[in-house]
Amino acid sequence: MAESVVEVRNPSGLHARPAAVFVKAAGGFSADIRVVNLTRNPDKSVAAKSVLGVLGLGVATGHSIRISAEGSDADDAVRSLVELVESGLGEPIDP
Amino acid sequence: MSEPLRGVPAAPGVASAPPWLPPTSGGGVLRPEVSLGEAASRAAAELAGLRTRLVTAGRPEEAEIFGAQALMAEDPELLDGAEALVAEGKPPDEAILAAGESAAETLASLDDEVLSARAADVRDVAARIARILRGEEPPRLERRSIAVALDLPPSVTAELDPALLAGIALEAGSRTAHAAILSRALGIPAVVGVPGLLAAAETATEIAVDGGAGEVYLDPDGATSEEIGRRLGEATRRAAVDAGLRDRRLQTADGHRLMLGANIGRPDEAARAIEAGAEGVGLFRTEFMFMGRATPPDEATQTAAYAKVLAEFGERPVVIRLIDLGGDKDLPYLPLPPEENPFLGVRALRLADAGHEALILTQLRAILAAGEKTGRQPWIMAPMVADLVDVYRLHELVSMAAFGKLWTVQPRVGIMVEVPSVAMIAELVAPEVAFFSIGTNDLTQYLLASDRTNPVLAARQDPLHPAVLRTIMRVIEGGHESGIPVAVCGEMAGDPVGAMALAGLDIDELSMDAGAFGAVKRAVGAVSLGELREAAHHAMHLERASEARAVFDRILAEATSPT
Repeated sequence: MAESVVEVRNPSGLHARPAAVFVKAAGGFSADIRVVNLTRNPDKSVAAKSVLGVLGLGVATGHSIRISAEGSDADDAVRSLVELVESGLGEPIDP
Repeated sequence: MSEPLRGVPAAPGVASAPPWLPPTSGGGVLRPEVSLGEAASRAAAELAGLRTRLVTAGRPEEAEIFGAQALMAEDPELLDGAEALVAEGKPPDEAILAAGESAAETLASLDDEVLSARAADVRDVAARIARILRGEEPPRLERRSIAVALDLPPSVTAELDPALLAGIALEAGSRTAHAAILSRALGIPAVVGVPGLLAAAETATEIAVDGGAGEVYLDPDGATSEEIGRRLGEATRRAAVDAGLRDRRLQTADGHRLMLGANIGRPDEAARAIEAGAEGVGLFRTEFMFMGRATPPDEATQTAAYAKVLAEFGERPVVIRLIDLGGDKDLPYLPLPPEENPFLGVRALRLADAGHEALILTQLRAILAAGEKTGRQPWIMAPMVADLVDVYRLHELVSMAAFGKLWTVQPRVGIMVEVPSVAMIAELVAPEVAFFSIGTNDLTQYLLASDRTNPVLAARQDPLHPAVLRTIMRVIEGGHESGIPVAVCGEMAGDPVGAMALAGLDIDELSMDAGAFGAVKRAVGAVSLGELREAAHHAMHLERASEARAVFDRILAEATSPT
């Protein structure tokens, strides 16, 4: 099991487009990946491969999310997804 | 002339045609040979096709609505939910609709306008899968029509033949609903949020919409049809003129220039404002970052947002307003005791002396850091400043935020003029600040002692009231005595008649939503500065705001009549 916390810096949070990028990337791994929005509700965990689940976390800019994974490529999945969020999920953000 | 039903103007334009009500069910029967999974993949493929169609039509932004919907159609959470219901014995079409409804309710409960609008997208996706399971065709228009519905799903809006879809009238929906966004992109007149529309439209054979005014007419009589025809001609002519206005400066008929600023509420609105021809940002509201969270945004998050706008506007000035938060906002990290009058209470700059100095200092440090990072000078504007004591406190806070670092970029520090007391001493305050920006919405409500959130008092909220005009004149004169620029960033600036009055009072800058640029350029550009000054001074001696409006309407009509 691997896990890591990252802050979302996209100007409007994990809304439609960045959420779609995130979910598509998660879909490329065989591990079972879960996401939690620590800023809004640390008790609610959703599947990273579900766009409805990820949108339902209501992640706004500046929120911290925890990504955890279980399975053969768990380490790789968490590392890649954290890097993806840090790089702005295809949107221009400031470092 | 018949009375219209009124709603929210969602997309401008005028149209009249027979109504078309989308069928609630196409009357198909469940086809057992199609599985839920197959129907979902087919729905995803259809949605991907719609996305491609909009991308090819040069609408990549709107196309992404369908990109996200295609992903939703194959969402494991949605399909697992539906499969579970099927296992309980529910027919698959009802199961997917129920699962979609439950996912939509989760999104709607998030208390976030953007995500709530996505709730409609999920219902739309579920309805599409159910339709495929029943072997029904997508809804089609047979003739030129105006779509009338409770809400129109985005995919239906985009699938209907644009040559036949003349207009849209919806009983539900907001300006940020996807049907509204798409109708603006496709240039289809639309009015949304019209209470009582469906019941009234049941027997109608003809319906007219004015998407700019937010009006819907059912079975218009002769006089109404004539009026609609006149507005249609006018709208066509205006669209042509507005396109030509984009590259023109904001100036009077005799060439007196005013600066044109944009009001923005999020960093991603900067690009649209520049595209529309903004010469700067006259008001960047920063509250968006502070809402819907358990803790305030940290300095780095804020710096990134401010730096984005500063960098995009480059040499052009950007006025960043310090947070205008108070007891009415109910934020978990800003516990304020309940107040009888939150608009007269502890809010904005006053928070600094009520135990929340750190909140203001963090924002100021973030603005300074954004200036340093981009090499662009930020303009800092404080709201709720009442007197010189507040002005000196503001400067003290800026110095405290800057303490300990060497800054190569210095901010310009100015104030929002909205509290009547500071307007009364404008000439005393002007030497102490770099600029004034008049917030006409709050100035009007404070000056006339009428709550602007109370609809019963709406008629008392007109900034063309002689008392408001005289106060604005005082502020402009007080500012000019010390040689500082004076702007207006309230709604008055984006109202063509209000803009004319302000130009006549010698305002330096008008800042408004970029959507109002064309109408304001047209109104101010029709008349000479001399005539505007004369009309503004005349308006200050009238009994009521409506008479002042009539004065400006008349000179505008005279200037633009084809003689």
